[in-house]
Amino acid sequence: MQFDVLYRPAHSMARVVLNPNESVLAESGAMIGMSPNVQMQTQSGGLMSGIKRMFGGESFFRNTFTAHNGAGEVLLAHALCGDMRVLEMTQAGFFVQSSSFVASTPNVATETKVGGFKSFFAGEGVFVLKATAPSPGALLIGAFGGIEEMQCDGNLVIDTGHLVAWDATLDYSVGKSGSGWIASFLLGRGARLSLPRPRQNLDPNA
Amino acid sequence: MRYQILQKPDFAAIRVHFDQGGEQLVCESAAMLARDSAIDMKTQMQGGLSLPPSASCSAAKASSPTPSPRASPGRRCGSRLVPKAISEVLEMNGQYPVFLSSGAFLAAPPSVQIDTKWQGARGFFSGAGLFLLQASGYGPLFFSAYGGIHAVDVGPYGYTCDTGHVVGFTGGLNYTVNKVGGLKSLFFSGEGLVCTFTGQGRLWISTRNSSSLVNFLHPFRPVKSNG
Repeated sequence: MQFDVLYRPAHSMARVVLNPNESVLAESGAMIGMSPNVQMQTQSGGLMSGIKRMFGGESFFRNTFTAHNGAGEVLLAHALCGDMRVLEMTQAGFFVQSSSFVASTPNVATETKVGGFKSFFAGEGVFVLKATAPSPGALLIGAFGGIEEMQCDGNLVIDTGHLVAWDATLDYSVGKSGSGWIASFLLGRGARLSLPRPRQNLDPNA
Repeated sequence: MRYQILQKPDFAAIRVHFDQGGEQLVCESAAMLARDSAIDMKTQMQGGLSLPPSASCSAAKASSPTPSPRASPGRRCGSRLVPKAISEVLEMNGQYPVFLSSGAFLAAPPSVQIDTKWQGARGFFSGAGLFLLQASGYGPLFFSAYGGIHAVDVGPYGYTCDTGHVVGFTGGLNYTVNKVGGLKSLFFSGEGLVCTFTGQGRLWISTRNSSSLVNFLHPFRPVKSNG
């Protein structure tokens, strides 16, 4: 499988090239075009996980696109103007802000986790998605705005409205800084890890 | 006539340079950003009155300014693209017509004839509109859409595209509107209906659609509370 992100940074679209019988798992409504030998199946992946996903800001259902009788292509896009990035799955996985998840390889398991109630008042959801994969895979994330990757070495303070995804090895806590609510990230283990975030975001509480 | 697409790909604008006196460019109403004062602009109805006057589907048909430069060459005009963000240009060579969804047409010289084509019932569902604009002839055809414009060369197997993301396609293609996946997918997949294109030709897809932006912004609009 190959992910190509085109038309960056504002109107980005991912072209996923699937090998025969390969599948890609995508968010509801993400598909904008596909070759006709690709078939789509809608699943909830389990009632409870579907409901939890709904609280997380994602939709109850997910779509799986599979290429039959040869290679296929699927075009995926986020709903709003902005950038998309492909993240290679690591051992620890990633936390992804709800609504930033666009697609992934089928071996990536996503689980909705409680992000912290303080972030609820900060305008972001209570829940975040945790994405893990037992084998190499990829995760496609999208944001309303540009996506910038930042290295966290020690302590990094980020506005909760601007988070897209971060390495699961980072510890984080939500707190108040100055006049607004922001999230402060503390690094637990001393390793250098990356933290993508969008440059602009429509934050209703801003 | 020379042209140049500026600020590609995000906020494209087209700069058109008229080389000779008497050259003309037909634009969508309100498309002009700026022009040299030596260029005349005239507004007229385009496409005839084959549509009933109440048909407001094809906004581009209502009035089209026709700038025509007077004496000296080297004048130019620009074009505006809000809410559309990307512009593309296609050099028409008279061989096949191009169908554009209503609203996608931006500008073309008079050597490209623009006409409307009724799509029938499937047009209601196709997202491209009940009417498609048919462009044929010679010369550059400028069209735009909200989002990036991705061109797909459709081969013998065809191609499937989300309704609402179709910008235009060449005349060799035909399309049908159907649902993707099963009945459950129709309601729950978030995809809804798709257009399946068959034949040989080129299809232009926009990478965003404005209804997603509207749905996102809708909860933030100020509302009066009742009583």
